[in-house]
Amino acid sequence: MTTSITGAMLLAADGINIAMNVGFGIIAAIMVFAALSVVTTRNVVHGALWLVVVLGGVAAQYLLAGAEFVAISQVLVYIGAVMVLFLFGIMLTRAKIGADTDLNNSSWGLGIPVALLMLGVLVWAVIDAFGDTVITDRGPTPTVEISDAFLGPYLLPFLAISFVLLAAAVGAIVIARKD
Amino acid sequence: MAVSELAGLFQGDLPMGSPMVTGDPLLDGPLLWAPLIVVAIKVLVIFVLGLVGTMFMVWFERKVVAGMQNRVGPNKAGPFGILQTLADGIKLFFKEDLLPDRADRFVFRLAPFLAFVPAFLVWSVIPLGGDYSGGRDGIVTILGQQTRVQLADPPIGILLVLAMSSIAVYGIMLAGWSSGSKYPLLGSVRASAQMISYEAALGLSLAAVLVTSGTLSTSGIVASQTTLGSWNLVTTGFIPFIVFLIAATAELNRPPFDLVEAEQELVGGFNTEYSSLRFALFFLAEFMNTITMSAIVVTLFLGGPRPPAIGNTALTIPLIPGALEGTIWFVLKLLVFLYFYVWLRATLPRLRYDQLMNLGWKVLIPISLGWFLLLAAIRVGDSNGWNVIAVVVIALVSLGLGYLLFTAALRVSSRQRDREGAMY
Amino acid sequence: MSQYLPILVLAILAILFGAVSFVASRLLAPNRPSAAKSAPYECGIVPTKDTPQRFPVSFYIVAMLFIMFDIEIIFLYPYAVNSGELGIYGFFAIGLFSVVFFLTFVYEVARGGLDWGPLGQARDLTSLAEMVSPERTATTTVRRVGSEGRFPVSVGVEEK
Repeated sequence: MTTSITGAMLLAADGINIAMNVGFGIIAAIMVFAALSVVTTRNVVHGALWLVVVLGGVAAQYLLAGAEFVAISQVLVYIGAVMVLFLFGIMLTRAKIGADTDLNNSSWGLGIPVALLMLGVLVWAVIDAFGDTVITDRGPTPTVEISDAFLGPYLLPFLAISFVLLAAAVGAIVIARKD
Repeated sequence: MAVSELAGLFQGDLPMGSPMVTGDPLLDGPLLWAPLIVVAIKVLVIFVLGLVGTMFMVWFERKVVAGMQNRVGPNKAGPFGILQTLADGIKLFFKEDLLPDRADRFVFRLAPFLAFVPAFLVWSVIPLGGDYSGGRDGIVTILGQQTRVQLADPPIGILLVLAMSSIAVYGIMLAGWSSGSKYPLLGSVRASAQMISYEAALGLSLAAVLVTSGTLSTSGIVASQTTLGSWNLVTTGFIPFIVFLIAATAELNRPPFDLVEAEQELVGGFNTEYSSLRFALFFLAEFMNTITMSAIVVTLFLGGPRPPAIGNTALTIPLIPGALEGTIWFVLKLLVFLYFYVWLRATLPRLRYDQLMNLGWKVLIPISLGWFLLLAAIRVGDSNGWNVIAVVVIALVSLGLGYLLFTAALRVSSRQRDREGAMY
Repeated sequence: MSQYLPILVLAILAILFGAVSFVASRLLAPNRPSAAKSAPYECGIVPTKDTPQRFPVSFYIVAMLFIMFDIEIIFLYPYAVNSGELGIYGFFAIGLFSVVFFLTFVYEVARGGLDWGPLGQARDLTSLAEMVSPERTATTTVRRVGSEGRFPVSVGVEEK
């Protein structure tokens, strides 16, 4: 039986998915560009849209890693709900069309070291946790495993979420109170 | 492609009693040329079908509404005016494409795509047909490759539909905002609030379906509805079906929930400033969503392309090869809902915005959440051998308590509102 | 992840279709811009006020509530798919979660977070007593305008 070119190209002998790695690189590059655009764009709504691109990129990365349910949750919760809230929030206050002049405040320079510090912490955490573990393509994670996890070892955080949501609801009412 | 050729291509010859697999068997193995060609064929067929189906839907709606209003409707272009939509589409190609001065040029150009592309992608997870005769599980053979008659079958297929509808919100919201004009902005803010509200109801009633079918894959959901009695319409107890249908109508911004384009108040709604092809894309997306949403209802509640069956005897259409039969049943079931949507348009007056929000948040959402818990309780009780009547009674008492609490909350809020109103 | 390959192909095809249509339309359609065409559409009236910059806060609350429901739904799905195997324990865990969630929702509703539309304004009817009195008839309220001096009739007298 002849192995076709496509089959050979996508899957190397040791089970490492080359297409996956290439996909990761492309999506990561788009995400970095979008993330920089979030802070450099001159329009608040454009900034929010670039953030949508970043979050969509995260979803795509999850998908590549075989975490389908998490990817869809990312789209539903972050793109479908949180960013809509952001956009509503922007439209509630100001959503001018065209460039805004006063988007940067005076201490924006402080943000750079903080961002670099966060990057350092995250990189260190990832390297510390995984080292040079090779991630092989083990196919999609069944959704059943997720319910087993949050109703099993992670039950307490799961129930805590319902109280976080309560706090969020109280917060929304306080913000919206007319007085 | 002619029908006879299609029939030749689809030849269901799968060994009997093959286990139910989730995912399309076509894409399980290494990606050789043959599967890739089949994928290409399927993509093209779905694409053409999507466009032609949408054209048909626009014509169907105009013709049926015309009939209901005692008019003739389109009757000049083609037999029965069936080419009217094509003529309208071609006309839009020749129209000047206006870009308002105050518009945000980039977002204004982007928005039609954000409405149109998700509408197309929903097609990919809908089971459009398949061979269910003789115990086959909807798998057909095309060019020697075993596959399902649906473009892709990811394990979380039905969630993809929700994800696409949450992306479609952006198309409408950004179209209104980027126009830099009053009515589009009002229409789009209304529309996006409406769509997210009803997406919650949609999602909660979907949860009830998942309890009975136990899978997120669309083909799996179809596979779990083998007989008339095991259609999710029956097993979930009709309520989730009704909630889903109402929420879907609102999600589509169709009458009576078409406040987005309430002509008397908002001119054309979110797409007022759009013309030419950009408008055509919005229009196409709207009608395509109507078809796909009806298809989703059929998939979730009416057994998708499965022929109706009682026990082991399925209703079969004579003289039709088994592989085409699924598609015929699917189209028949689909037409029921398409007609239903048109019927609604011709019958019901538009809701007011506060009525719309109250229906979504204070009626549909609590009902579907309560119904989900009831179904889950019955299912757990069933698998643990509890007395069904006791479970139902306890569950109903708890739901009744919840109802009392909720009505108390409604009373508190309306009294508070009356007090505020009295201060003016 | 090859199950997603056809979806990606369809997405690319859809985008291409849109893009090609735009190019075709650009070539076929006339382009004669004018100030009137590119002004915001307001049914022919020249816009006098700017587009509003602010919106009612209720929209914000709806979006906030939707996030909560989305999170609830995201947790319900994995449970629903696996509800048979998770048994009594799983049911009570998800039930507790849903009850706390429902109470949150009840709180939100009770505080009027989901009330829409204008406030019902109480009107002082005593000052309007004259307007609603039963003595009012068509002849006492309708005044003929523009007929002064033209007809020899007095106001309020029925004409032949």
